[in-house]
Amino acid sequence: MSSDLGAVIAKRSISLSKTYPVIGIFMALFAALISSLSGVIGNLSSTGIPAGASGTSPLNLTTALPLVSVGLQVLAAVIFSMPVLQLYVYDKNNGVLEYFLSLGMNQGDIFRQYLKAALLLASGLVGLETVVNVAAGLIAGVGAPALLGVSGLVVALAIPVVSSEAQIMMSFSSLQKQRVGSNQPLGMAFGVFMVIPAYIIPLVFPSLALTIDLLLASAIAVLSLTLYLSSSRLISREKLLP
Amino acid sequence: MPTLELSGVSSGYEGRPVLHDITLEAQESAIYVVLGPNGAGKTTLFRTIAGILEPYSGKVLFDGEDLTRSKEARRRVNYLSHFNAIPEEMTVRGALDFYAKIEGGSVDDVISLLNLEELKDKKVSDLSQGQKKRVSIAKVFLRERDLYLLDEPTSNLDPAVSKEIRDILLRLSKDRIVFYSSHNLYEARDIGTNLILVRDGTIGFFDKISNIKSKEYRVGIRTTTDISKIIDATPGEGGYYVLSVSKPEEAGFALRKLVENGVLVTEMRQLDNPLQDLFDDIYDEGTAVKKEKRRVEERE
Repeated sequence: MSSDLGAVIAKRSISLSKTYPVIGIFMALFAALISSLSGVIGNLSSTGIPAGASGTSPLNLTTALPLVSVGLQVLAAVIFSMPVLQLYVYDKNNGVLEYFLSLGMNQGDIFRQYLKAALLLASGLVGLETVVNVAAGLIAGVGAPALLGVSGLVVALAIPVVSSEAQIMMSFSSLQKQRVGSNQPLGMAFGVFMVIPAYIIPLVFPSLALTIDLLLASAIAVLSLTLYLSSSRLISREKLLP
Repeated sequence: MPTLELSGVSSGYEGRPVLHDITLEAQESAIYVVLGPNGAGKTTLFRTIAGILEPYSGKVLFDGEDLTRSKEARRRVNYLSHFNAIPEEMTVRGALDFYAKIEGGSVDDVISLLNLEELKDKKVSDLSQGQKKRVSIAKVFLRERDLYLLDEPTSNLDPAVSKEIRDILLRLSKDRIVFYSSHNLYEARDIGTNLILVRDGTIGFFDKISNIKSKEYRVGIRTTTDISKIIDATPGEGGYYVLSVSKPEEAGFALRKLVENGVLVTEMRQLDNPLQDLFDDIYDEGTAVKKEKRRVEERE
């Protein structure tokens, strides 16, 4: 089996569907904007305008906004990698997965190549997000520790979330008895569900947000690893047939 | 010489068997034509041999290696399914490159072999069904294998391309095993050495095609003159004089008689395909068994 099959699948995915990647990039840029707003707000507060708009709110936007942007950036990665999951279903229906099986691959090999493709795309976008975040943050005057923290958290959350979501969706696609076309909405729903705490926690528990987000990332990483290890049992060969 | 052996194989989908206790052995390099009505289990048989479906019981061995478990053994097999399995968003060359990266082989060679030069830069999605089929077949020949499983390879193809494919397969079958399913009994007779007839998930018949005899030989003779007064032939279908004989040699005697009488014979061919008789018999028998089974079930 070619070692770069995952990369080829990633390229094919992008050429098959450009809508999701465009939305993903747009969301990533929007998230960077939100994150860099914290620097602007911080500058404003240092020039006399308090970070809590009314002065009575316990919410500190300079720390909350970068953390809220983490959720958006993770969701952008989920959306950006969605074409791989479309391609998986497309290839299954078109007999490509069946042909892979006939070439000597097993269901686990195939599953892992599509997962690799989804992670390659997600990593690409996370890399871009990091660059844009750092650049925008530095321009807006966000401190380096905050920028590093946000970037690290995006990586820690995005990779396990995309991995889990891709595996859940591929398993679901293969476990369905009837093709009802609900894979994409379901995949999105899982992605959003896993990211929701990252939006809420910084607003509800601002001081614990970073710790809770890291715990969340660890829990999703464990889920992802469990799914990965049981992938060959989750999907039988016949479920890859058109 | 490769050997394929199925012993007591039951296989199917979602726990429901489609193939029931199949046992067969292909010991010679040849084309094995697989015939059967729709839903008989031909595709399931191919998928099980290819190692795509795991049998519920029994074993599929290729040169003694288990095709279900051994990746190495499966790499000696190629399977062409009903589905083209060609990434449609790619160009023809791109799609073949995609598979060549996975399994090796020369894209230029298969482009030349299947006459795809004019199509190589076109997107697969822009091709006709027949052209897509050609590309799909091309991928099968990227690398030479020892066992080919071809599920209706010539469906959707024009006669010229069908012939080219059959010629390639005839060449390959000299030292390889080729399983070839078709609904065309004339094509089956022309290309096949052995016949496997699948009926209701079982093997209804497995023998050399040369051993299959017609119940009746009807010979069509095309001439420029009325021959009904010379031999016992009557004007019939397709402008032929139809001669019924009990064995093939009698057709030769009739031809000699016509030539001796100065008749110019422009064409002479067997009108009935012996495979048709066999197919009808086995299928009718299967239908009768099914009817009887249903009747018994209804009574119970």
